[in-house]
Amino acid sequence: MTATVPQPRDSVPAAARSTALVPVWDLPLRLLHWATALCVLVAWFTPNTYDTTHRSAGYAVLVLVPVRLVWGFIGTRHSRFRNPLRVCRVLPRYLLDMARGRSRRYLGLNPAGSAISMAMLVLLVISGVSGWMQVTLRFFGVAWVQDTHTYASDAVMVLVLVHVVGVLLMSIRQRENLVRAMITGWKRSGAAGR
Amino acid sequence: MKALISALAVVSLGLLVAGPARADGYKTCTKLEKASWKPASEAEAKAKAAGYEVRRTKIEGSCYEVYGVKEGKLFELFYSPEDLSLKHTIAK
Repeated sequence: MTATVPQPRDSVPAAARSTALVPVWDLPLRLLHWATALCVLVAWFTPNTYDTTHRSAGYAVLVLVPVRLVWGFIGTRHSRFRNPLRVCRVLPRYLLDMARGRSRRYLGLNPAGSAISMAMLVLLVISGVSGWMQVTLRFFGVAWVQDTHTYASDAVMVLVLVHVVGVLLMSIRQRENLVRAMITGWKRSGAAGR
Repeated sequence: MKALISALAVVSLGLLVAGPARADGYKTCTKLEKASWKPASEAEAKAKAAGYEVRRTKIEGSCYEVYGVKEGKLFELFYSPEDLSLKHTIAK
């Protein structure tokens, strides 16, 4: 009987443990990511009471998100958007694999990461635009504008939490600090990856 | 890695705890129970009489919050449902 080394279900293949580092997240993407994260956080805690701060954060988001959208087409490889239809098609399978602890490592965004980032960008546009509309003469005190802003903003925060939990989960599974990767831009090259 | 996990845990927990507790706008106008409140339409009428174009009225805490426009400027007016006195005005 041969002694087999018990393999943890989420073990990274030996080849993927390569320590060679490769640049993944380009500088504009990282700056956009953290600036947007900061603005969203600030905006979340400042409605009503700190109106000026809340508005500045919202306007900043309305500048950052379109830049991110453009960068999603002209940026480096891992900054670019995938085809949303393709992401939708592979997403159920990926989530199932993830639930079973069998999801493979992606160097850039995995399908879940792609999907949630695109969803967050769409919701941020809705939240930002509806928030801006609220303080225009035309749309001030219009119920559907206020409701849209509230629900879109709540949805953004729900997705932010899911995103943070997802990053944490994949960091543990892949034994790699994904937050640091988003700060430095570098990741282990590994074998798998695209 | 431990630092990352604790940092993310703290941030997530902070968001969950602080979310509902985050500072709210003006919302205390009266201690009177809701059943004895004057109708919101009277608060709206008061705002109209003061020259505001009324867009919407909401209940905010124990206040009637009236969204009014006057001379092209945006205002949130907080009336007490007890005596319809104007408690607070925010220029947007």
